[in-house]
Amino acid sequence: MSGGPQLLEVRGIVKDFPGVKALDGVDLELRAGEIHALVGENGAGKSTMIKILAGLYRKDAGDILFEGEKLDLRSPHDSLEKGIKVVFQELSLIKGLSIAENVFLESFPLRRNGAVDWKTMRSRTAEILDSIGLSLDPRTMVGALTTSQQQMVEIARALSHDAKVVIMDEPTSALTPNEVSFLFVVIRKLKAMGKGILYVSHKLEEVFELCDRVTVYRDGQHISTCDIGDTNARQLVSDMVGREVSTLFPHTHTGVGETVLSVRGLCTDAKLRDVSLEVRAGEVVGVFGLLGAGRTELAKAIFGFDRVSSGGVSVGGVPLRAGSTTHAANAGLGLLTEDRKGEGLVLQMSVSQNMTLPSLADFSSAGFMSFRREAAKSQEFVDKLSIKTPSLKQKVEYLSGGNQQKVLLARWLLKTLKVIILDEPTRGIDVGAKSEIHRLIDELAKDGLAVLVMTSEMPELLGVSDRVLVMNGGRITGEFTRDAATQEAILTAAIA
Amino acid sequence: MSIQRSARGSVLLRVMRYNELGLLVVAVLLFAFFSLGSPYFLKVRNLSNLLGQISMTMIAGVGLSVLVIAGEVDISIGSLQAVVAIPLVMIMNATGHFWYGVIPALLTGLLVGAINGYFVTKLKINSLIVTLGMFYLLRGLVYFATGKVPISDKTDDPTFYTVASGKLFGLIPYMAILMFIILIAFIYILRHTTFGRRLYAVGGNPEVTRAVGINPERMKFKAFLICGLLSSVSAILLASRLSSANHMAGQGFEFQVVAAIVMGGVSLAGGVGNLVGAFIGVFIFGIIQNGMGLMRIGTQYQLVITGLIIVAAVAIDEIRRGKA
Repeated sequence: MSGGPQLLEVRGIVKDFPGVKALDGVDLELRAGEIHALVGENGAGKSTMIKILAGLYRKDAGDILFEGEKLDLRSPHDSLEKGIKVVFQELSLIKGLSIAENVFLESFPLRRNGAVDWKTMRSRTAEILDSIGLSLDPRTMVGALTTSQQQMVEIARALSHDAKVVIMDEPTSALTPNEVSFLFVVIRKLKAMGKGILYVSHKLEEVFELCDRVTVYRDGQHISTCDIGDTNARQLVSDMVGREVSTLFPHTHTGVGETVLSVRGLCTDAKLRDVSLEVRAGEVVGVFGLLGAGRTELAKAIFGFDRVSSGGVSVGGVPLRAGSTTHAANAGLGLLTEDRKGEGLVLQMSVSQNMTLPSLADFSSAGFMSFRREAAKSQEFVDKLSIKTPSLKQKVEYLSGGNQQKVLLARWLLKTLKVIILDEPTRGIDVGAKSEIHRLIDELAKDGLAVLVMTSEMPELLGVSDRVLVMNGGRITGEFTRDAATQEAILTAAIA
Repeated sequence: MSIQRSARGSVLLRVMRYNELGLLVVAVLLFAFFSLGSPYFLKVRNLSNLLGQISMTMIAGVGLSVLVIAGEVDISIGSLQAVVAIPLVMIMNATGHFWYGVIPALLTGLLVGAINGYFVTKLKINSLIVTLGMFYLLRGLVYFATGKVPISDKTDDPTFYTVASGKLFGLIPYMAILMFIILIAFIYILRHTTFGRRLYAVGGNPEVTRAVGINPERMKFKAFLICGLLSSVSAILLASRLSSANHMAGQGFEFQVVAAIVMGGVSLAGGVGNLVGAFIGVFIFGIIQNGMGLMRIGTQYQLVITGLIIVAAVAIDEIRRGKA
């Protein structure tokens, strides 16, 4: 199909993070004039790979060959210099500068006296923008552009550096359908210019529409690479998922009680569209969705963290006051947030102080703390969850990710709850800690809690849930019982 | 909170890890220096004065520390010193009784704290900006109200004089006793109550507190009230010292308090620091000013030296903590 010369060849890349092997000897190749899709579930290693190519991470082993030359990428500057440009989902533009300044950020064209040559900079930016079919004034402030236009500025930046490889990381996640088709036109132009494009996505229909070849990663390993004509969606999904999962997850809770959490027609300005759901006592409901589907937004809206434009939540029949997390917590709702550092831990405080934050009332009378009771209870949970910490007074900052996550879980286990919402409870933690958390989820349901688990990890979803809800574009687009939930059916509902 | 990194190690090591130790050393060195530098420094009379001098700074410093730990700041407290004195002295003059003036004076402080708190927590305006505005606005109001002429005390109630100038057994200023009561009460509140714990959490990471059902805005609002209230207590003491409502009162006071508590390890980033440290910071500041006065060091040198000591104390603390 696309028989250009080999541009980039990656062999046997290994990347270890504490407790996790993110990449375990993976390969990747990219030809000139090719659009190559890289697909895989969350945690498959896609992001790690492109961060290595972007010079953000250092590989632990393996080779990167660029036009036959071995590369040692130490910084984003190195990558760009060699001709590799990554357009991340989080765009790296400076909003207070003009398009031209952003495009030439790393190397402003200069006049002989050392001053910036604005005229050249503008005219060259205009040329580049024109070459990808974009008619924007180079003097426009980037902050005034739409997300789609900003993405184009990133691509223009790649062209200004004469990049030969352009890597796009989930480029369509924030775009409207029209913007997506324009992006595709631009990507095809890049292809015609002989660039190699690595297109990282989990939207399979885009892959089939746009790409020439596709590579699948799973659990840090390379599973397959083939021409797009030689495969189909079913095959790709099975390559992405293909793993025995059921036995890993304890599922001992039985018997379901009354409805405890009831969500009716929840909408937010930003994301959610008429979301309704119910969770009963002793039931684990899993909510699946790809990036940007609205899982975290739903968790936060239920807890009163974000402003809700319509709809309501009730716990045990009692309606919650909109926008009051205090009221939600008092009603017996707990939320394990996805963003561990931003919304989970107070880093300056100790392990025990972080654990007891929502349940201080239980360790005090008339507002005066009993440190003895607090320490006893914290120690109990440190032991119960086998949290590795030298003492209760250790600052939580110095714990590993998995242990920090356990501290956050302990925070809610300490409290008497009716409903617990767990948003990505096992993100970024090692396998051992993961299965302990799965065991805890089962125990919580056994104790009669209503459990809502937001997850983007398919095995986890199927392993812990009694019922599965699928989200896509802020709506619930599918509901499956435990028996009816298959990976294919769920992915189809999540992608459609 | 200045909790050590781990509970292991000897008692000495544990003590060493407390931020306050370095400061205490600075305080002791300064104490020794001025004892040698001036024959009057170690006199009982001077030490008693010194205690009185730091009381006003410390009482406002407790309030400001509470607010800074919650992650906000108030630089209108200097202007507030002058504002609070106006209802105090006017109502005293009208009624002839000191205590009748105290209630409206305290309410004025609470009101200003509430206004600051409203703008910061409801309208989400940066507290530095809000209280900077209040800093100018209040001083302007004082100029209006006094016509730039001090309103002097026309009562013959001796209490007004006694609160700031009286001493227990002729030795310990009543002001200092009040200061220690407030200080110890708030040391206890910050350490041993749920309010204190939540305050540190709000200053440490307000989003986390929201996620555990604590309303960070409400906590911050309360901190503004405490700051306003305690600042008005120090304002009453200042008015008593001046025995008038003076339009110039409290100029530069806000920065003195901020500098002293920051030197004492209360971080402007929020969530870090304690009142023992803040007290040592205020104490160091007091020693420097008192000692330099006694040694008859010129004002120009005093300002330069004060500036150097603030920057040096904080820098030393940062370096020590970085290597800890």
